[in-house]
Amino acid sequence: MVKKALISVLFALFVLPFGYLLLLSFAGTWRYPTVLPTEWTWQHWTQLAGSGNWANSAMLSLLLASLVAFLSTVTGFLTAKVLSAHSKRHWWTILAYLPFAFSPVIYAHCLKFFFHYFALSGAFQGVLIAQFFLCYPFAFLFFIHHFDPAMQAMEDLTYTLGGKPKDAFWKVLIPMSKLALLICFFQTFLISWFEYGLSSVIGLGQVRTLTIAVYQYIGESNQFVAALASCLIALPPLLLLWFNQRFVFRQSTV
Amino acid sequence: MRMPFLSVKNIEKHFGQTAVLNGVSFDMEAKQTLAILGRSGCGKTTLLKIMAGLMAGEGEISLNGDSIHHLPPQARGIVYLYQEALLFPHLSVFENVAFGLRLRKTSSSEVQNQTEKMLVDLGLKEHGRKMPDELSGGQKQRVAFGRALIIQPRLLLLDEPFGALDVETRAQMQFFFQKVSQEQGITSVFVTHDLKESLLIGHQWGYMENGHLDIFNSIKSFSEDPRTGVRTEVDFWKKL
Repeated sequence: MVKKALISVLFALFVLPFGYLLLLSFAGTWRYPTVLPTEWTWQHWTQLAGSGNWANSAMLSLLLASLVAFLSTVTGFLTAKVLSAHSKRHWWTILAYLPFAFSPVIYAHCLKFFFHYFALSGAFQGVLIAQFFLCYPFAFLFFIHHFDPAMQAMEDLTYTLGGKPKDAFWKVLIPMSKLALLICFFQTFLISWFEYGLSSVIGLGQVRTLTIAVYQYIGESNQFVAALASCLIALPPLLLLWFNQRFVFRQSTV
Repeated sequence: MRMPFLSVKNIEKHFGQTAVLNGVSFDMEAKQTLAILGRSGCGKTTLLKIMAGLMAGEGEISLNGDSIHHLPPQARGIVYLYQEALLFPHLSVFENVAFGLRLRKTSSSEVQNQTEKMLVDLGLKEHGRKMPDELSGGQKQRVAFGRALIIQPRLLLLDEPFGALDVETRAQMQFFFQKVSQEQGITSVFVTHDLKESLLIGHQWGYMENGHLDIFNSIKSFSEDPRTGVRTEVDFWKKL
């Protein structure tokens, strides 16, 4: 009974913010101290359906997050593989933590000059590279612990069984890392999807991702449209969560 | 003079200033097992890794008269077996055993025939379709043996292969190893912590201490060396 009540409370706590945002996106007016909006409207949603800006922002975010996640996961995996056997592995790991020592906005301001210099400010490629600077060390740190002595032993065993390095890589390391690769891709996708600080400073507001759009509406005190944008932002992560539960988690527990 | 099947000469290895192997040398005949006994950290694993080509080291190793010291591990014909079975978790038992044959691009029918025969020899005929996590510790080690033996290695290196097994399974695996070694004429270097296991399995014995390896060609000479602990063991049982 207590367990059920606790689960219900936790479920409510999890769902409440999403329910609240959804409610706000249908609100016409809502003034304190009324509990519910006094006026309801489809206007924000119909505007969304008729506006190309939203679709563009959503597509831009999707493209950006997918590219950043793919690049970071692949490069993070490869460099972690190489550096896991390096005698200075410990120092490389410490270096990879550095980007997380700053707040993303400060980090972006430190890098700003170089992006200006290479004419990458305000460009899609610039934001892509800036987000990569954040996601790549994350992926590296994720995989450096994945390549442990047991993994090395598997690789060595493949060699003594007659395998070449490409056999060890494609027939052993990649299949054994499939789940880790998928999880890292999801996580870097989410980091990129929700990233605001670097995108706003390097993108100069010209690369209008969904997160940038939400902050713009919040800045304009348009709380209802901001709520609608937040609902859209939450959608892909929720889909990823569902996908994780449905396929990845099941696969890992079989 | 007859040439030994395996000849290891003056193997040296340093980690920084620390010498791990100090001029290790020994010869072995084919179809024999050298059982090496020694405490943790004495350099046994390092020696096996250098022999397998998984670690660099100074010295000379030749197999059947051919120098193999400069060859990469995949060209040596030496399989290294670990304490853990290290089965590939994404492959079935059948595919684990067939792994070395697939690497050699053996024809499908030949892979099928040889792997099925090996599974019968291992007593695992019914388990071919299972995944590694569905097997017991002893069964996993059998699969690891099968995976190594199917490619007919020139030399098998075993690094405490039964160390993680319970007493009963360990005894079964010792019997299994002796049987398979005899039937297939395997030449092996078997590293163990266990005195009884070394006496049971070896044809030749070695005791390793501080990077030095002493070789004994008879149980008598091995037993008489106080470092091996045979005397202490015998005295213990006599006093009971």
